[in-house]
Amino acid sequence: MLIRSAPGDAPRSPELHRRLRWLVVVVAGVFLILIGRLWQLQIIRGDEYYELARSNVVAERFLPSVRGKILDRNGTPVADNRPAFHIYVTPRLLDDAGAARLIEILRLDPDEAARLKERLAVARQRHPGRAAMVLEDVGRDRRGLVAQARLELGNGVEVRDEPYRDYPFGTVAAHLIGYMNQPSSKELVDLEQHGYDSSEFIGRYGIEKEWEPFLHGRRGIERFITNAKGEKVDDPSKDDLIQGPKFEAPVPGNDVVLTIDLRLQQIAEKAVKSASAAAAAVVEVDTGRILALVSTPSFDPNVMTGHLTRAEDDRMKDDPRMPYVDKTLQQHYSPGSTYKIVVAGAALQDGLASQHEKLGCQREYKVGRRVFHCLGSHGVIDMLEAIQRSCNIYFWKLSERVGIDRMAEVARDFGFGAPTGLGLNSEVPGRVPDKAYYDKAGGFQIGNTLNTATGQGDDAVTVLQLLMAYAAIANGGRLYAPQLVQKVVAASGEVVAEYQPVQRRRIKLSAATLDVLRQGMWRVVNAPGGTAYEGGRSRLIDIAGKTGTAQVRSVRQSEADRSSGDWHPTRAHAWFAGWAPAFEPEIAVVVLVEHGGHGGAVSAPIARQIIEGYFTEIKHMPMPLEPPPADLLQKLKKKAKKP
Amino acid sequence: MRLAEKSIALSRASIGSNRWRRFLARFDWPLFATMAVLAAIGLLNLYSATARTPHYGKFQQQILWMLAGVGCYVIVTAIDYRTLHRMAWFGLVAALIAIVGVRLLSDPIKGSQRWLEIGGLTLQPSEIAKIAIIVGMARLFHDRSMGEMKSWAELAPPLVMIGLPVLLVAIQPDLGTSILLALIVASVSFLLAVNLWPAVIAAGVAVCLVPLFWDKLLGYQQDRVLAFLDPSADPTGAGWHTQQSIFAVGSGRLTGKGFLEATQNHFNFLPEHWTDFPFSVWAEEWGFVGSVALILVFGFLILWTVNVALQARDRFGTAICLGMAAMLFWHVVVNIAMVIGLAPVVGVTLPFISYGGSSTITFFVGLGLVSSVSLRRSGY
Repeated sequence: MLIRSAPGDAPRSPELHRRLRWLVVVVAGVFLILIGRLWQLQIIRGDEYYELARSNVVAERFLPSVRGKILDRNGTPVADNRPAFHIYVTPRLLDDAGAARLIEILRLDPDEAARLKERLAVARQRHPGRAAMVLEDVGRDRRGLVAQARLELGNGVEVRDEPYRDYPFGTVAAHLIGYMNQPSSKELVDLEQHGYDSSEFIGRYGIEKEWEPFLHGRRGIERFITNAKGEKVDDPSKDDLIQGPKFEAPVPGNDVVLTIDLRLQQIAEKAVKSASAAAAAVVEVDTGRILALVSTPSFDPNVMTGHLTRAEDDRMKDDPRMPYVDKTLQQHYSPGSTYKIVVAGAALQDGLASQHEKLGCQREYKVGRRVFHCLGSHGVIDMLEAIQRSCNIYFWKLSERVGIDRMAEVARDFGFGAPTGLGLNSEVPGRVPDKAYYDKAGGFQIGNTLNTATGQGDDAVTVLQLLMAYAAIANGGRLYAPQLVQKVVAASGEVVAEYQPVQRRRIKLSAATLDVLRQGMWRVVNAPGGTAYEGGRSRLIDIAGKTGTAQVRSVRQSEADRSSGDWHPTRAHAWFAGWAPAFEPEIAVVVLVEHGGHGGAVSAPIARQIIEGYFTEIKHMPMPLEPPPADLLQKLKKKAKKP
Repeated sequence: MRLAEKSIALSRASIGSNRWRRFLARFDWPLFATMAVLAAIGLLNLYSATARTPHYGKFQQQILWMLAGVGCYVIVTAIDYRTLHRMAWFGLVAALIAIVGVRLLSDPIKGSQRWLEIGGLTLQPSEIAKIAIIVGMARLFHDRSMGEMKSWAELAPPLVMIGLPVLLVAIQPDLGTSILLALIVASVSFLLAVNLWPAVIAAGVAVCLVPLFWDKLLGYQQDRVLAFLDPSADPTGAGWHTQQSIFAVGSGRLTGKGFLEATQNHFNFLPEHWTDFPFSVWAEEWGFVGSVALILVFGFLILWTVNVALQARDRFGTAICLGMAAMLFWHVVVNIAMVIGLAPVVGVTLPFISYGGSSTITFFVGLGLVSSVSLRRSGY
């Protein structure tokens, strides 16, 4: 039943041949397309794909470097490193379902889950083959959970044990030390040029930010051959695919040694605890080295570094006392009576007044049609008494002689109106108003001069500026640049850099002028009737200084409602600026209690505690003891005789 | 008596040896040699693809498949292809039953049901169905000589017979095989049909049906097609295979990385590359030169098969050879296009290079048919 066909009976129809010609054209055409595509892939873009295929199998694992410590002047670390567990994800090895499962396994809250997803998305876009940190500083529990789910999650998820920033003293000196967190994807573009890895934290505030280049070491790299599952492949024959050394050791960062004395910092923080928002600063008058720098309320850098929740962040930002702001230099305030050194200094220096000149104060002072009020009726007093009792009318009268522009000149000489140059936390310049300023602001009036003289005009200073100015008065006119970092030391112990005190200039006030100011300010604290006599006088040591009570001008009702404890936006700022010992000065201190009330009553006691703490606990000056009770002495004598 | 018996035995032996000699003389050696070259390349490549992996056993398995394939090839060559004329419709029905059987009987492997398990061996009826359809088409075009192919009524039953398996495979669902079947049917029709209009209309209808079938496709199939249209959209998902395959091919550059040096494949960046992506292994290790050489070998095999078609003694043989040429052509083109990112990832094997029993045996049997046609081209 075969088909009946004979040899040579082939269907050689011309139609088939015609179509077969087309067939050959089509086959050749299609094969040419394939070959063309191969040409494009292998010849034109071959090198590019070779590189991509190479990077597929060469894994780079970054070895963390140990960040330099931040030490106080005695070598106590205030920023250190501790071991911690971090969760790393290699995006290529973990799809979205795997990421969702990871979130489920770790029982992340929505906040953490969102952060993890965001970081994973960034990493996926940047280096899908490279492990990136998605969750920092997880506890032992979560580390265990990941270890348990190892088989399920595959090689895409791993827990690494790496050093993590630790601030052993918590909120102490937080604004000064600062904190760290992960850079954004935008910043990374630039940071990667400088040898950073996306998993590394960078300093965000304080010393951590400004001294980042010194503190940050250089991460090491381990390069090895890996398969698609991310497993390390031990195949020496493929080692030539690795470009660069197989192992680069990490280089640790440098330690930064501060001029801060942690003990004094703690004394100062304890002293301002009574105030709900305050700033305090202490400096060595002969070097400009900062000993303590306090701003409250504060934040905990351990929380800020990788553990800040959105709720906590919102709470901090909502707080009217502004915990995120460094009140020693990021915020300026009306100086109140502490600013009277300007007008007094100018008047004495220019010979427009002498310390013996007596002027009357009857509580009211008329200038044109306006009436200005003094805090009390001080009677006829000389300049020392005017300083001692902080008489406004005395200095208003002087200010009319000196004039606004001359006051501004002296103020600038003291360092007001320009940053002190500490180089930290975007220091504000403050404000020194002159006639031109008031003209622009709405027309100069003589009242502006008066208000400026007593620190109630548009003049504004930072705690740090006032500190350096008072230190200059104390040390005989040398205005120093404040210094916070003593030296930078490499991990090997080698000193990389050491910083000497920098004297900016000599203030253009004569020794005699400064002496009058110093005597007046001794009386503020030590003479009965002085504004700080009740609050600032120490049994231990002679303190000199000046109080200030800066009235706060009208605030909006909405702001007035945002009060917190003692803190109320309508209350005056309480100042005390001074130094000790009064006639052989070692340290200068400024205390500001924000909306704290009267400077003499509120800030002076804080300053006294800080000064006493410095001389007893750091300088070990013996506290004068009260004589022991008579009966105790007798008992002791009896006991001594018996044996 | 004894002598007579002896002479008969002698004459039988001489007839036998004569047949054997004639068989060897008429045997299509160029066809066999080309196929052997491809099979050798396939084994070499499979060795490289599986060496030092847990899958190295596949190399020996494939050698067994190839030996079985060569056996089938010789047997099919020896059988007169014209006997298949009678069995064409029977073969189609058997293929249909097998396809339906897969659907009804087997456990789902890898999401779609394509394998039929018989005594430990898994068989893919859709592969065998290709041969059945080619033979069925050959009978169709043989029975109705060119002048008769005009009446729709006459054309309908055989078209249904051929169209049904295509449809069933598509439902199975095996997108790659059903597209290939459709392409083979279309190619042979364009070559042999007198009146092209029925074929054009059928093709038009098929294209119009695609959107209807889109929703019927499984999720992963849709993903693959979408990933092909925009590979960068989901680099970890469906686009991953294509992307990694392109890296592999491109990184071979002009002369390749050398035998056993394909990192993309050794380190598993292409899962199961020995079935669907063997060309990427080849291209990575032997570069542009090796890739083009392999394509040229395939080109020669296809043109040789077309040449056999032209010399066949009847339309049945011509149609079988053209069908086989079309099958080879489309397998090669779709597989390579998929590897180099010119087509979505569909499960289409590369003849003689891909690992797998069903595919290997199918191509040996198919070319065995061509060999059979070639053997009988002029009085055998």
